Amino acid sequence: MTAFQSFILKESRHILRDKRTMLILFGMPVVLMLLFGFAITTDVRNVRTVVVTAAMNPQTQRAVEALRTSEYFTLTAIAPTAEAAKEMIRRQKADIAIIFSAQGKQTAGIQVLIDGADPNMSQQWANYANGVIATALNNQQHSPSPAAAGSLASPTVSTRLLYNPQMRSAYNFVPAIMGMLLMLICAMMTSISIVREKERGTMEVMLASPVHPLMFIVGKLMPYLALAFAILCSILLLARFVLDVPIAGSFGMILAVSTLYIVLALALGLLISNVARTQLVALLMSAMVLLMPIVMLSGMLFPVESMPHVLQYVSAAIPPRYYIQAMRKLLIMGVGVESVTREIAILAAMASLLLTLALATFHKRLE
Amino acid sequence: MATLSFLLQKEFLQIRRNSFLPRLIVAFPIMIMCVMPWVMNMEVRGVVVDIVDRDHSVSSRQLVRRIEASHYFVFGGERSTYRAALSDIEHGRADIAVVIPPSFGSQLRQGESPNVLIAANAVNGTKGGIGSAYLAQIISTHGARTATASGMHSINLYNRHQDYKVFMIPALMAILIMMLCGFLPALNIVGEKERGTIEQINVTPVRKRDFILAKLIPYWIIALFVMTMCFLLAWAIYGITCQGSLWLVYLLAMLLAVTFSSIGLAISNYSETMQQAMLVMWFFVVILMLLSGLFTPVRSMPDWVYATTYVNPMHYFIDAIRTVFVRGGGIESIAHQVAALAVIALGTGTLAILTYRKNH
Amino acid sequence: MNSIAVDHISKRYGTLQALDDITFTVSPGEVFGLIGPDGAGKTSLFRILATLIRPSSGTARIDGLDVEREMTQVRRRIGYMPGRFSLYPDLTVRENLDFFATLFGTSVDEGYDSIRAIYGQIERFAQRRAGDLSGGMKQKLALSCALVHRPSILLLDEPTTGVDPVSRKELWELLGTLKEQGITVLASTPYSDEIRRCERVAFLHHGQLQGIGTPDEILSRFAGIFLPPAPERHIAPNTPAPIAENTQSQHSQQDNIIEVKHLVKSFGTFRAVDDITFSVRRGEIFGFLGANGAGKTTAMHMLTGLNQPTEGTGTVAGFDIRTEHEQVKRHIGYMSQKFSLYGDLTVAENIRLFAGIYGMSSSDIGRKTDELLQQLHFAEHKHSRVDSLPLGWKQKLAFSVAIFHRPDVVFLDEPTGGVDPQTRRQFWELIYQAAESGITIFVTTHYMDEAEYCDRLSIMVDGKIEAIGTPEELKQRFQQPDIDHVFTLLARRAKRSDI
Repeated sequence: MTAFQSFILKESRHILRDKRTMLILFGMPVVLMLLFGFAITTDVRNVRTVVVTAAMNPQTQRAVEALRTSEYFTLTAIAPTAEAAKEMIRRQKADIAIIFSAQGKQTAGIQVLIDGADPNMSQQWANYANGVIATALNNQQHSPSPAAAGSLASPTVSTRLLYNPQMRSAYNFVPAIMGMLLMLICAMMTSISIVREKERGTMEVMLASPVHPLMFIVGKLMPYLALAFAILCSILLLARFVLDVPIAGSFGMILAVSTLYIVLALALGLLISNVARTQLVALLMSAMVLLMPIVMLSGMLFPVESMPHVLQYVSAAIPPRYYIQAMRKLLIMGVGVESVTREIAILAAMASLLLTLALATFHKRLE
Repeated sequence: MATLSFLLQKEFLQIRRNSFLPRLIVAFPIMIMCVMPWVMNMEVRGVVVDIVDRDHSVSSRQLVRRIEASHYFVFGGERSTYRAALSDIEHGRADIAVVIPPSFGSQLRQGESPNVLIAANAVNGTKGGIGSAYLAQIISTHGARTATASGMHSINLYNRHQDYKVFMIPALMAILIMMLCGFLPALNIVGEKERGTIEQINVTPVRKRDFILAKLIPYWIIALFVMTMCFLLAWAIYGITCQGSLWLVYLLAMLLAVTFSSIGLAISNYSETMQQAMLVMWFFVVILMLLSGLFTPVRSMPDWVYATTYVNPMHYFIDAIRTVFVRGGGIESIAHQVAALAVIALGTGTLAILTYRKNH
Repeated sequence: MNSIAVDHISKRYGTLQALDDITFTVSPGEVFGLIGPDGAGKTSLFRILATLIRPSSGTARIDGLDVEREMTQVRRRIGYMPGRFSLYPDLTVRENLDFFATLFGTSVDEGYDSIRAIYGQIERFAQRRAGDLSGGMKQKLALSCALVHRPSILLLDEPTTGVDPVSRKELWELLGTLKEQGITVLASTPYSDEIRRCERVAFLHHGQLQGIGTPDEILSRFAGIFLPPAPERHIAPNTPAPIAENTQSQHSQQDNIIEVKHLVKSFGTFRAVDDITFSVRRGEIFGFLGANGAGKTTAMHMLTGLNQPTEGTGTVAGFDIRTEHEQVKRHIGYMSQKFSLYGDLTVAENIRLFAGIYGMSSSDIGRKTDELLQQLHFAEHKHSRVDSLPLGWKQKLAFSVAIFHRPDVVFLDEPTGGVDPQTRRQFWELIYQAAESGITIFVTTHYMDEAEYCDRLSIMVDGKIEAIGTPEELKQRFQQPDIDHVFTLLARRAKRSDI
């Protein structure tokens, strides 16, 4: 057995014998995928609605009925006054209130009071409520003929939602989860495992042996590479068979770009381990330098376009951003490799830069 | 009581002596409060629209100009064919393509309804959906009377300026308390285990309750300090102030701090190494955070997932703090959340004391 | 050609001069000792020779090869064992050995001859994880790992710290056999019996070379440091009557501060402590001896209320260790194997904390702290952080803290591990003072000279107490010249694989 093989064997044993960490490493992708796939959505559903009306006329009746039957709204109460409805919203018993002010048989005006705390959702709720009520009322008006309406007609719109016709959020999150977990495993786990050898004193013996220390490090990285691929595959399988996310692009290309990204992450892990002296520092550095910016600035949860320019520049320096972009294109949109050349080029440049830096700062001695 | 005060002195001295912790406690909230409100913005902005105008009539040019002029969209340019626009989408240069049919102007003049195609990249469902809906609104009202329901208008009750920061700042407070009060106590006890000092404490007659309280109280005080910093920063940087009573917010923060510091301690009682404690804590934090309604509305979740929010302390907290901070609710508005949080805090606190064992 | 040639080596870390102009040579096949108190610069010297750090000035050669410029060739020739265990605790014995063999491009089979003597002793545990081995076995495994590639020079940095006397003896016998294979050994040690086994020794102090010579020369020249006179007890202990198990029942309950009957602690099927019965009288110094893994620490954890006994009963200071462990804790002091004061608190703050836990009032604490520090001649360090103190001082401080609340009995688990003889002597003076003031001392140690200082001893083998009595009685009963020999005789009877 060569020294290199024995390094790989030894490191695999370390990983396999730490049951609790293994459980979390493989449990995390599953839980994240299920959460993002099923639980986390911004769909308009179960919006708690209060109706305020002085007297029910057929029009109001129809509108309320439409709200009641729609899948978006849940009618929770009928309040006597607008004030009472406001109070219900303040107390978080309702999200929107619809106030019909009636004049005799005709509905004179409809006012929608919305809990505006969440700007995105409140806007959507307003749109949906508008839509539901408008449809209900227009049907009743026996849609007056265009001629009667007189002047200009309005264009109709047909919308085609490309790549994700059902607007499932899973399509968006799967690449992001891949970007985050691969970085976490490759960079954080490897840096901690190298620093642990320093803390335990085994690094000292290693350095005092004739084996080139880099060979030792590369041998150490190999099992993590394998682990990363295992996690990558389990994410893809989960995505395909549990979340029904189509893998539209070529599998070879996905694997190739992922490999590039994994190499980049490993280089980053090595770099951290060169700087950190204790496991705690390595842990905090990975958490602060890697995890936080990745989650916040890579466009995984929050769109990069909405950030101020300064932060957009910062985000431009974060590798997962490009990986996630490339994966969205390759995995979900299924476009050809020519559409992701820019991302690949940037990732390759970053990887070689990090690798050079990691090798330059690598110590062959203790200090 | 006397023992507790000696133990507390020790904890505070240790936190103060640590080269890293005091800086973290001050710098982390500042960093989060200065940067994150700008980042945590799910507003859909900067949607890039490509237009394929195959009509070039007066009417279609008007429509193009209307879209161009909209603040909401970034005009990506005109393309001659749908294929060219699609290629832009594929390369990530555009998000939506609008195709105006050749007979757009003439159909309109004849009182017919021409069909305009909107093709949106819906990989990001929110962006694609909201963008295309808004665009559809612009197009369908083009040249016509408003077709919406008669006299219908909507009013936003709170957060009138529809500022995402107002919505997110309470969430940031929650994240800060969770991070500082969850992770630090967990690492603290495991650290004592690794150094062996906990054995020395375990052979003393110190009461479990005193020891655990001494470990937790400093982090509760840190939580209060961090909350105060958040209020000041939110006011100084963004001009955002609490609509309701500050005392209620502090009460909620205390309850959340008790809960998370207890969870942290319970986890550290079961962990051998810092790495283990950190990973397990992270696992819980991610799940509790994602399912709490911090970022996405809980009522949009499937019913079985929604059921989990009944035991999620984060959910009660985020619900209650938004009611007070954004909507200006009083104690009567959040009584139910406060009660639930208190029960959970009591439960986790008991768990922390029970799982700590002086005698194996 | 010399195996090791150190030529005017200096090493400084910032303002700290770790090594100051050191020059010496070691000839091939020599067993050379490097001795000196904690912080003398021994580890820095080892690391320079192992090519792990560069000297600030001067040169060092291994087999004529420069440690800086010809690093790779040097690394091929040395076997290095750092002070701490350098094994992977989650790998088995065999996996560790295989790994280190391949590291040097050889295999266990090829190198088996050179490690047979040591590895043979632990080979039956080949499938056990290294983390589950006792201290002595870990050292043997680490040594096997350092030897498997047949190095020409072996660098051993305190290879026997925390190892029981029998294992230490075996280890040094093995080092003696290496000479026959032509291997040069450079080793550091705090034990005087080990120093005597070297052919020549170099004495380092504060980074300076104080002298080189045969062990006897150096030991006599620096006798004050290496062979301090035994500490004196000013008041004779309440002379214990000859002890036999049957006479113990005649003592009244009050005389016995510790009373243990048929105590057992099992972990799964393994009985770490296997039915022990003994008692300790108020005011005596009781030595609790045993090899690594014999069950001493487990027994002590039961007495101090850290662990629940599986079977049997016991009282400490009149309280049941099974049901009243929190009351027990009120009346005892404890100093663990690991140094366990808070390093980031000052001396005074540590005292204040532990005194406060035992319910002393603030004013009492202040006064008594000053008294104590005066007594220890330590007043100027009152506000120093504990982790900045030398190890010997930390241990004296830890002991003082353990008895600060005037407990009835204090438990000391290997309190003097890894310190030089002079400091150990000072430590024992403190123990004697405490005993004179009426505190019962319950102490474990691997230093057999310290065992002679105790009023009574017990020797544990395989979880059982094999012998108990005064040092004189034991020597007579087993007809041995000193406790060291008694211990070796008994410990060699051990059959069970230590845990």
